Amino acid sequence: MNTNMKRVTVFGLLLLTAMLFTSTMSPLKGHAEEDTYLIATDVTFAPFEFQNEDGDYVGIDIELLAAIAEDQGFEYELAPMNFSAGLQALEANQVDGMIAAMGITPEREESFDFSNPYFESGPVMAVRDDDEDISSYEDLDGKTLAVKVGTTGAEFAAELAEEYDIEISQFEDSATMYEDVLAGHSDGAIEDYPVMAYAIQQGLDLRFPEEPELGDEYGFAVNLGQNQELLEMFNAGLANVLEDGTYEEIVERYLGDSSEVAPRAGFFGLLQANFGPLMTGLGRTLVLTLVSFAIALVAGTVIGLFSATPSKVLNVIADIYVTILRGIPLIVLAFFMYFTVPQLFGIQITAFTAGIITLSLNTTAYIAEQVRGGLAAVDKGQLEAARSLGLPYGVSMQKVVLPQAVKIMIPSLINQFVITLKDTSILSVIGIVELTQTGRIIIARSYQSGAMWIIVGLMYLVIITLLTKLSNMIERRLIAND
Amino acid sequence: MTKLKTEALRKSFGELEVLKGLDLEVKEGEVVVIIGPSGSGKSTFLRCMNLLEEVSDGRVIVDDFDLTDPKQDINKIRQNVGMVFQQFNLFPHLSVMDNITMAPKQLKDLSGEDARTLAMRLLDSVGMSDKADAYPSSLSGGQKQRVAIARALAMEPDIMLFDEPTSALDPEMVGEVLAVMKKLAEDGMTMVVVTHEMGFAREMADRVIFMDEGNIVEEGRPEQLFGNPQNERTRDFLDKIL
Ligand SMILES: Nc1ncnc2c1ncn2[C@@H]1O[C@H](COP(=O)(O)OP(=O)(O)OP(=O)(O)O)[C@@H](O)[C@H]1O
Ligand SMILES: [Mg+2]
Repeated sequence: MNTNMKRVTVFGLLLLTAMLFTSTMSPLKGHAEEDTYLIATDVTFAPFEFQNEDGDYVGIDIELLAAIAEDQGFEYELAPMNFSAGLQALEANQVDGMIAAMGITPEREESFDFSNPYFESGPVMAVRDDDEDISSYEDLDGKTLAVKVGTTGAEFAAELAEEYDIEISQFEDSATMYEDVLAGHSDGAIEDYPVMAYAIQQGLDLRFPEEPELGDEYGFAVNLGQNQELLEMFNAGLANVLEDGTYEEIVERYLGDSSEVAPRAGFFGLLQANFGPLMTGLGRTLVLTLVSFAIALVAGTVIGLFSATPSKVLNVIADIYVTILRGIPLIVLAFFMYFTVPQLFGIQITAFTAGIITLSLNTTAYIAEQVRGGLAAVDKGQLEAARSLGLPYGVSMQKVVLPQAVKIMIPSLINQFVITLKDTSILSVIGIVELTQTGRIIIARSYQSGAMWIIVGLMYLVIITLLTKLSNMIERRLIAND
Repeated sequence: MTKLKTEALRKSFGELEVLKGLDLEVKEGEVVVIIGPSGSGKSTFLRCMNLLEEVSDGRVIVDDFDLTDPKQDINKIRQNVGMVFQQFNLFPHLSVMDNITMAPKQLKDLSGEDARTLAMRLLDSVGMSDKADAYPSSLSGGQKQRVAIARALAMEPDIMLFDEPTSALDPEMVGEVLAVMKKLAEDGMTMVVVTHEMGFAREMADRVIFMDEGNIVEEGRPEQLFGNPQNERTRDFLDKIL
């Protein structure tokens, strides 16, 4: 019996490992022979990069990169993610280059190689239009400033904070930062001048009490010592587009007086205008949830069974797994999967794959615990009766104990499903454009966070309610069988 | 011929030694009844006979196979040793029919058709053929226990172990279960029965064993053990329950 059981469980372990790793990771692609470059960019940084209503990425950086690529004849693919995630991805060689209105600073030059500067800008402070209190930096004593993590603006704010008594709030994207000021949580925001100017031009009720600071030059970055040919092409292309007027054309389109102002739509107008992207985001949320939950259901059952077997070794394995994965916050696990694992093993993982692995590993731990609890709730006379008939341990569990445990577990599994669905929103930090991230992107171009978060919230609510109703129906059907 | 034998069987739960070296030999067709006060180790002894309880020391031998030999295929031997529990332990998610056919279908490669025929014959013999499609939750205690006996018999065992099969039953249902057991005994089944039903012991047992504090204190034919107990502890026990 023991050897048989071991064989079954070893098989289970192998299957689990195979499922979670082998199939989802591809070996590091050599970019020398395959000349499609993966270029990181920020998701929400108008007018340099943002999604228009058709879901296409546009902006000064995006168009400049396109013009340069055409001029130099290289292929690339955009990888939009939060700015700080982009920096990590570049460092981890997850991407080949990054263009994201990135200021060339001495610290960054320690980690990256920069192109020639292609834009000059400095940080500026914005406050609410109706805020009479602040007319210079000196008025900031006792106030709160919003900044974006890892930006030049954040460094400038830190300098100000040395001089004045300022509290600093850190944000992951510009739109949220503006909203924080408009909502009155922060008194001011620091951001690069062109970005903020564009937002105000688009209808945001902010003003600049001080002149922009002297600047910062934006550059295209590659990892230190890597992809030098890409850097050279960028510089050569930049010189060409500067010379032939393409550059000026692009900048004029976004920052010139003639640049068009998007009308502010109402709640339904916003919903209607963005229905497509929202549905795509919702779809991605559902795929993430369903795939991760399905994997976790199988793996969680295996690990839950591990903790129910008489084998001490398997008990300990299950215990270690559950302890570790329940002890790591999902967001940390996501960063680990996406940034650390590729560096450790020299492999490349897409954000979506990393997201699914993250969510599966995490959900597996919780399901394993539920399976363990469900198995423990089945009267132990059931296993004894099955074994006394001569049924092997595996068959007894499968035919007698597990079906009864599943019935006990159904309510908590439904609950776990809802939690997993909501947890997908955390995966937006590694750049997966699921429902929450879609909401952020739309806010970045429409500057309408109030209405957008209501829409996103309602969408989660509706889908979760529907799925819960459906699960309850299935549960009732199952229990009626008794 | 010896069907089942224990040799110097010991069992401890941690520090607590529950069975203190038990020797027992059960012959083919013999009905052995085990009696004794609560906590004396009767259930543990019975559960060691099909290794539901791991044995600490000594040997358990069924037919000629040593169950305590780690190389022994215990599942194979258990098929030949049926067990009936105080709490019935029917599978609540399966119908009466499926409760009975599951093990033979899994282990004997019986076709669904053959398994059903076998189950109907067994249900008939315990008077439960009209409940084949019912679920356990709809049965009375006596009915459940009769189905449980049929389920154990479906593997066609040579030996049946009963652990207080009537203790969880309302008094009016005890008779129906004992009747099934009597019929089994009369058909020549080798049986080891832990019970407080002294009537059954007197009438059906070939041998009665009195256990106390993990030892076999006294054994003998029922008329001898009940009529003229030799040991003081046996007398005390019988005085209390009779
Ligand atoms: N799994 C276990 N772990 C620890 N101690 C146990 C375990 N099972 C039984 N015991 C102890 O072993 C002793 C014998 O128990 P056993 O159930 O065999 O007695 P019994 O004679 O069947 O009693 P009853 O008539 O009450 O059923 C008792 O002291 C009991 O507490
Ligand atoms: Mg007992």
